Amino acid sequence: MSAILECRELTKSFGGVDAVADLSFTVDRGHIHSIIGPNGAGKTTLINLLTGIYTPTAGSILLSDHDTRGLAPYKLAQRGLGRTFQNLQICMNMSAVENVMVGRHLRLNRGFVSALLRLPSVRSGDRDCRARALELMRFVGLEDQIDQHPSEMSYGALKRLEIARSLAAEPELLFLDEPAAGLNANETHAIGALIRELAASGVTVVLVEHDMKLVMDISDDVLVLNYGRKLAQGTPQAVQNDPEVVAAYLGGA
Amino acid sequence: MGMLKRIPRPGLIVLALILAAAPLVFSNPYQYDVAIHVLINAMVAVGLNLLMGYAGQISLGHAGFFGLGAYVTAVLSANYGWPVYLSMPAALVVVALLAFVVARPILRLSGHYLAMATLGLGILISIVLRTEAGITGGPDGMMAPPLSIGDTNLYDERYWYALIAVLLLATVWLALNLIDSPVGRALRAVHGSEVAAEVVGVHTLGYKVLIFVVSAVLAALAGVLTAHYSGFVTPDLANFIYSIEFVTMVVLGGMASTYGAIVGAVILTLLPQFLTGVDDLEVMILGAILMVVVIFMPTGLVPTLARLVPGGRR
Repeated sequence: MSAILECRELTKSFGGVDAVADLSFTVDRGHIHSIIGPNGAGKTTLINLLTGIYTPTAGSILLSDHDTRGLAPYKLAQRGLGRTFQNLQICMNMSAVENVMVGRHLRLNRGFVSALLRLPSVRSGDRDCRARALELMRFVGLEDQIDQHPSEMSYGALKRLEIARSLAAEPELLFLDEPAAGLNANETHAIGALIRELAASGVTVVLVEHDMKLVMDISDDVLVLNYGRKLAQGTPQAVQNDPEVVAAYLGGA
Repeated sequence: MGMLKRIPRPGLIVLALILAAAPLVFSNPYQYDVAIHVLINAMVAVGLNLLMGYAGQISLGHAGFFGLGAYVTAVLSANYGWPVYLSMPAALVVVALLAFVVARPILRLSGHYLAMATLGLGILISIVLRTEAGITGGPDGMMAPPLSIGDTNLYDERYWYALIAVLLLATVWLALNLIDSPVGRALRAVHGSEVAAEVVGVHTLGYKVLIFVVSAVLAALAGVLTAHYSGFVTPDLANFIYSIEFVTMVVLGGMASTYGAIVGAVILTLLPQFLTGVDDLEVMILGAILMVVVIFMPTGLVPTLARLVPGGRR
């Protein structure tokens, strides 16, 4: 099993404070990886580094053995990276299905002149795009909210809408930033099943999540961060039994 | 409704019919003249709406592009003897290049900073037009040769009306197509959430630059037509008050509504005609209208009215 993503001595400082420090780890293709840690451990900073929102202060990130340093998020998207956001990033000026259709941006004819003239290729491309978006909305359980305006949708539905949008791009490597935050037990269970299905279809999933039951249930591998550093990495069981992890979560020494 | 759905662009057909029927009620050249100014402003507003309403980027400098387009074609044709059919496209190219060069640094800004930068750009252009008297004729402006077909000069307002109406229809058709495409969705996503657009592969800065240039070129086209229609240009064409007026047209008619932009242009261009007796009040009334619209229908006239019609969202 080859690594789809490898971080080497990754560091990100904000004004002298290391949010992520000297972090090295690998993500195996086709697995579900979780990143956990107490609040402020650097999880979201790490995802922002990996998806090009932030530039590392030091260290390197290899995506399928290619250095991604300095690549903008849209370039990383072209290389098969996708993500969702902890704080929703939904386009409130578009309907639900249009939000998903935006996700297929890279798979469509994006020529300016063909768009101006609305050539047949643009029309048929958009038809297929909408059909695919509908499929994805069914997949995440939003089939009855296709043309809904996002402002009329529940928080849980918007979380799934983001997942549908990220899937529309057909990413190889998908980062989910707290997909279960704010969801009830049933919704969390449904998201877990969804993530499993994703991984089974060949997508590598990196999950940042606070819901420990979800993490331990579905992960192949868990990375524990504390104060921006790696505290432990391994299978859910190994991590759960690690005395340092227990100490970090329960407080104490 | 079922019938309407099968027609690809019902709104465009309605617009074409209105443009074709309007001359039936015109009885003198002055009315044509007003109508021509309405259409010219509508062209700018449709372009500015692509930038503001769809891509969510403000420009308070579009009168600068309007005025620059007018001057480039006037200078090339009057001072350098270029035929008008060459000086007009040349003006569009010059404005496109300028917009492209300034767009990259300017569009890295957002919100108030972007507003200030575009405002500054527009004012800069108008100052250059006013002060470079050797080329532009200074504050008095300069003559622009008439448009000619073969050996006959195009003076008749009716021909100008037809020409500009056709160009506006083409502009609207292209704008509607653009919005209704992957490019249009990307632009709207830039407005909705730049970071979300970026992570699905949308080069957000690239799209902002693209639509800035497109809207600048449409403003320049309107300026170019104004120059040869009226036969002279003055630095006033680039006055920043007009930039504000263009923005007001878009906001009044309705952001992200192409027909709204046209309605906004109609209202704002016609308003002074009805207020000729009360010149001093014009700006006040304009301000009052804008306040009422922003407070009571923040989405603008056309989208608000469209929502009252059952089943119609456009």
